[in-house]
Amino acid sequence: MIRSAIERDVLTWIAEGVDSAADDERFNQLACALFAHQYEHGEAYRRLCDAVGRKPGNAAHWSEIPPAPAGAFKRARLAAFPPGRELRTFRSSGSSTGEPGELHLDTLALYDASLLATFDAWVCCGSRSLRFAVLAPSAAAAPHSSLSYMFDRAARVLGLGEPHFYADAEGWDPDAAIAGLGELDGPAVVAGTAFAFVHLIDALDARGVQLSLPPGTRVMETGGFKGRSRELTRQELHTGIARVLGVSTRRIVNQYGMCELASQFYEATLAAGEPTLAKRVPPWVRTRVVDPATLEDVPEGMPGVLVHYDLANTGSVLAIQTSDLGCAVDGGFEVLGRLRGAEERGCSIAADALLASR
Amino acid sequence: MTDAPVRERIERIDRALALWRDPDSPWRRRLAEQHGGYSPQVIDLGVTRGLAHWTRDVLAALRARELAQPCRVPSTTAVWLAGSVPTATFAALLLPVLAGSEVRAKPASADAVTPSLLAGSLAEAGLPDAIEIAGGEQALRDVDCVVAYGRDETVELIRRRLPPHTIFVGYGHKLSVAAIGAHARPERAAGELALDLALWDGRGCLSPAYVLVQDAPAGRAEALAAALADALERCERELPRAKLDPAEEAGIREWRAAVALEPDGRLWMPESTAWTVALERRSSLPSPGALRFARVVPFGDLDELAERCLGLSPHLSCVGQSGFGERVAQLEAIAASAGASRVCPLGRMQLPPIDWNHDGLSPLRPMLRLTDVERDESRGRA
Repeated sequence: MIRSAIERDVLTWIAEGVDSAADDERFNQLACALFAHQYEHGEAYRRLCDAVGRKPGNAAHWSEIPPAPAGAFKRARLAAFPPGRELRTFRSSGSSTGEPGELHLDTLALYDASLLATFDAWVCCGSRSLRFAVLAPSAAAAPHSSLSYMFDRAARVLGLGEPHFYADAEGWDPDAAIAGLGELDGPAVVAGTAFAFVHLIDALDARGVQLSLPPGTRVMETGGFKGRSRELTRQELHTGIARVLGVSTRRIVNQYGMCELASQFYEATLAAGEPTLAKRVPPWVRTRVVDPATLEDVPEGMPGVLVHYDLANTGSVLAIQTSDLGCAVDGGFEVLGRLRGAEERGCSIAADALLASR
Repeated sequence: MTDAPVRERIERIDRALALWRDPDSPWRRRLAEQHGGYSPQVIDLGVTRGLAHWTRDVLAALRARELAQPCRVPSTTAVWLAGSVPTATFAALLLPVLAGSEVRAKPASADAVTPSLLAGSLAEAGLPDAIEIAGGEQALRDVDCVVAYGRDETVELIRRRLPPHTIFVGYGHKLSVAAIGAHARPERAAGELALDLALWDGRGCLSPAYVLVQDAPAGRAEALAAALADALERCERELPRAKLDPAEEAGIREWRAAVALEPDGRLWMPESTAWTVALERRSSLPSPGALRFARVVPFGDLDELAERCLGLSPHLSCVGQSGFGERVAQLEAIAASAGASRVCPLGRMQLPPIDWNHDGLSPLRPMLRLTDVERDESRGRA
């Protein structure tokens, strides 16, 4: 099966929407075909597969496709097409190691299709009368940020009117954001990273201002804090957002995504009408929760490392092992946090510490 | 102390160590049951072999040598411990006890067990008050000497918090390497090296973070790596590695991926993360290995070896060596130039003598206030 045929079938599936059947046979056929393509055309990924003795011929099920650790995107060009054909390159923040990972894309068709389908289903809920207020730079201002691309694309395709971005590459403008939010005269999507919302809460509190955003407004927050602001628990963050924006916590949706993945995961808080911690997995994606020692699935409810298989990742690697801990729950998975650098149990120098000192 | 109490103290320390070396030692069994950081087999072998040569005669000679001149022994020494290697904790606590100081031990977060068990064994041997266990701040209060182990930053932080007249001895971050010369027999060297990697699961500062192999004739480094893989697989059956944290497990898979992504990197490994051998032909050293992840790096000649070792200074602690034949003196000079404080045969990296000059410091003298005495020889003759 050639890549264009795989992409056509994946796009068809995405067009059927997030409520289409999560047909495992259909997923398996596409995943194995995509694995064969990525093994053949992705030199770096092929080396990873060869190292663990896995080839398309001996992976009969999608769960046998070797995942690339997310960190591998920092060390090699994990793309299944030749250099020079990139339409976009997204860079991860590199917040933990200082070096960014890169996702190279030679088509945005699948990326767009997946992000719009999921954003529409779990944030817009089909509405086309929502204005977008974004606490992040636009895609033009941050061309290598997958987050800015996602906000920008969702706002321009799904939103009403011209979106407002209250940040640029230099930082954000709290006065403009507060003024802009205060002037909203209809339902809106207020979107941003968790740390951006912490800054917004602080800015509003410093001014003694509490807004009351129009009915129908919803908030989408994503990402962790990454040492860029004071840290809040999720409950503290959502309570704070609800207090300063006048939006019920039942209308705050958390999104989980990563630069290396084309698809994102959302809590179905709006769709269900009440807060939920379960991240929904669209039918063209599978998420396993594995024991990192064996890479075997852990029982439902038990913590393990999240591994995603995303059919929309046609140009890079469809299987990615994250550094996130999670557990499988009814309807999806919960994110429990990052794998923290284990406590130093030995007296040998930590790798990073040594490298930093050289 | 007069000679009699000194002899008595040494006798009792020796008696305590004998309790640990005993083939049916309940102390060793309790450590294996309670420690949690290592498999019982690793603790059993590591402690038995690690303490094998810490005998009464060695202790007595060490004390006599280090306290040969008049000096003041600290009445209380705080020992700020780090890491989880039991034998390193033994040495850290027993040396001030041997000097004649009372010890206040602040256990490492990764090993709350070893200090109290050692204190218990000393009590059983007749030194009931030799070691007191204390929490963080309390450990440093009203002591005249502090010995601190840990990350460089931690050691520096402790030093800064002490009053100016408190004696301070700091042992910061270190790592070790195995160096294998052209005359080594791969199977034998691999077997010895596997033991150095398996004891304490590669967590110690004496664990080989790199295996530097002379690739002459070409292909020797690869042969050594393959032999090491076989040896580590055998080792895993006899000395199983402990269960790791999820982050450590994931880290090993990331390291493996990093090697696989190198165009000329080669890996030997089981499906599990129990052990890994990586052959890496890089111009710069990769990040150090640990947790039974052996990073085999070929070198051409001794000049290149010297360059590699110098790149690790000032963190280099021990060089375990094999196969240098008549050029072993050159290797020792290279190790010394790079700041290593120990060169030993492969297979003995985890078995340092109690009188080793850890980090190049005398075992006891840095804790003492020495008194130099100058006598008026002319008056004496008159």
